[in-house]
Amino acid sequence: MASSYLLPHSQPNVHPTTASQPRQHHWSPYTENGGCILGIAGKDYVIIAGDTRSSEGYSINTRTARKVYDIGSGLILGVVGMSADGEELVRKVARKIDDYKRNHDKHITVAAAAVMLSRILYQKRFFPYYCQPLLGGLDEEGVGAIYSYDYVGSFEREQSRAYGAAASLITPFLDNQINFKNQFVPGSNGEEPRPKVDLSKEQVEKIVKDAFTSAVERHIEVGDGLQLVTIVKGVRAEGEEEDEDEREKTAGGGVISEVMSDLKKD
Amino acid sequence: MKNPTMDVLLGIRGKDFVLIGTSKAFLHGITVVKDTDDKTRALNDHTLLAFSGEAGDTIQFAEFIQANTQLYTMRHSSDLPVSSVASFVRTELASSLRSRHPYTVNMLIGGYDTKKEEPQLYWLDYLASSAEIPYAAHGYAQYYCLSILDAHYKKGMGVEEVAGLMKDCHEELKRRMPIDFKGLLVKIVDKDGIRELEGF
Amino acid sequence: MDALVSKYGGSDLDDLNILEEDEDEVTSSLPQSVSFILPPIDSPAKFLRAMTDDHTNPSAPIKLKHGTTTLAFKYQGGVIVCTDSRATQGSWIASQTVKKVIEINPYLLGTMAGGAADCQYWLTYLGMECRLHQLRHKRLISVAAASKILANLVYSYKGMGLSMGTMLTGVGHGGVFGLYYVDSDGNRVEGNLFCVGSGQTFAYGVLDRGYKWDLTDEEALELGRRSILAATHRDAYSGGYLNLYHIQKDGWVHHGFDDTNPVFWKQKLEKGEFQNVSTSLD
Repeated sequence: MASSYLLPHSQPNVHPTTASQPRQHHWSPYTENGGCILGIAGKDYVIIAGDTRSSEGYSINTRTARKVYDIGSGLILGVVGMSADGEELVRKVARKIDDYKRNHDKHITVAAAAVMLSRILYQKRFFPYYCQPLLGGLDEEGVGAIYSYDYVGSFEREQSRAYGAAASLITPFLDNQINFKNQFVPGSNGEEPRPKVDLSKEQVEKIVKDAFTSAVERHIEVGDGLQLVTIVKGVRAEGEEEDEDEREKTAGGGVISEVMSDLKKD
Repeated sequence: MKNPTMDVLLGIRGKDFVLIGTSKAFLHGITVVKDTDDKTRALNDHTLLAFSGEAGDTIQFAEFIQANTQLYTMRHSSDLPVSSVASFVRTELASSLRSRHPYTVNMLIGGYDTKKEEPQLYWLDYLASSAEIPYAAHGYAQYYCLSILDAHYKKGMGVEEVAGLMKDCHEELKRRMPIDFKGLLVKIVDKDGIRELEGF
Repeated sequence: MDALVSKYGGSDLDDLNILEEDEDEVTSSLPQSVSFILPPIDSPAKFLRAMTDDHTNPSAPIKLKHGTTTLAFKYQGGVIVCTDSRATQGSWIASQTVKKVIEINPYLLGTMAGGAADCQYWLTYLGMECRLHQLRHKRLISVAAASKILANLVYSYKGMGLSMGTMLTGVGHGGVFGLYYVDSDGNRVEGNLFCVGSGQTFAYGVLDRGYKWDLTDEEALELGRRSILAATHRDAYSGGYLNLYHIQKDGWVHHGFDDTNPVFWKQKLEKGEFQNVSTSLD
């Protein structure tokens, strides 16, 4: 790989059979499978939730498609857009995170994983993955982190972010309920903004459920089921076995758990 | 805005007057045909119309408006006040817009209302939107001048101050616009009527 | 051919004074192992244009983030850099908290206009090249040389669909302040004052009117902030927060990430500006 450099207007990866055929102009390898994901970071937890409907046009392909994945090392990744690209991306990231653990004998941090994901997306700058990912994890202080990306890898750490079909429905609700945007102290005549507070995991879970039930009411591509994945510091979900070694080693000390619930199916 | 032009129209309302500046270049494609053009018409003693837009439409429409406001003055032995002129222009433009050959003309109307004893500035576009505002611009000039006016225009400014603002806008346009618009022709409208302002 | 031109062509006379050797080293060390996956067709650029939105193709499936106002200017006391923080995808406001000033290292800043990912990626890559230069030559890279690495780099991808309009600024060895405008068309221009983005004209208006070399630090910071505020007011694609930086002899200092809304009302109510906005409907 040393100093091989991509020349402009050259086509090193051209497929021999498809090149120079006249049909290529309409060649479109993308589709949209709908669905919606939502990530919120708290003081000591992270939630990424997604609906479980996967559709194409007006047809529903499946009502049980997971969009949020455990990618190892105490990190989770949600993807919406084209599910094929999303799945490929998830596998690639999970594999690289596993490689990192084996090569360095330690778990990757969220910050480093965030950069890694950005590079993976940018590597396909001229043939982008058609999916929008949300990365979640606890940072080295144990504080929740959500990293949001565009298709080609620009990223930012955020408090909350909704992606997918109903993003335009959910985002204004999140701005208001998580960041208290346009909320003011009663009696201050709209002059004193409502002070920000750290919401508890239980409060945020309620907000997430409300966001999705509302989105289902008004968007045809969202519905069927809700997959709620959380990372909490050092606490196992009920009934699961304690695994001291594994927990000690993840960079943020987080433990991942998943809860499935129903959404309307019409 | 459809096809913004390099023609400059600027209007600023002061304490008891309105200043209107228009570029002196008469443009035809990439050619400067004339460098002493006047893109304004006096509608009556206290109302000035500045215009830019589709060649031909501009003068035809402006002079049609001018003739009708003058006719009004003759018939009634009194001038139509500025707000009524603006209203009339807007109505004519709105009905033109729904005809087979709409006029494509953007305008500023600056005037002094002698009854209310106050200056008024109207901004009208070719789609017959109309608004009374303290400062206004048309064409690409908008993009450079409005932010300067947002920052430095203050309520109740005198002639010197407003002329200074007009000069600031002029300087910015000379600096950043890619063509030479041959300077500004600046006119003042106040209780004494319409006059050209020297020094631009 | 293009690669040859980018490798040996385009030496600007104005850089020759101090930085000649720098730039020669820079261009020869350029090729690194970066390779990108391309779609298996004749014209990847055409494919990308069909799939990616711009004003000619608003219904494209992939909507990249666009719209911005950024500025940077040199003055007696260094360089001021200020940006808004809005990212839009069509008329959807994708984010109000974008960091459009990229901190390449403690001495260099890059601004972000155009494709967010292109700017983030290549300015980070530039940071790596600058560090390598520092290790190889035991001194800081000049801004002129750094900007040329970037310009040559993006020029080698010309026509492939990269989109960036960046101002690269900072201090190089010997405490020399530099300010360069570099874009994906291949332009690289040295200057004292630049505004870039959809709101650039509005920022230019206020900045030109208030600019002079002898500005004090306080005046310069205020002018930068006020110019971006002007653009957020008039350009719908700009808004969010005012991100302000000052570059001094020993590197950059951050001067806040402030919500535009309260700043606007302060400016209007306390200084009497924005008279075109009425506080009542009558």
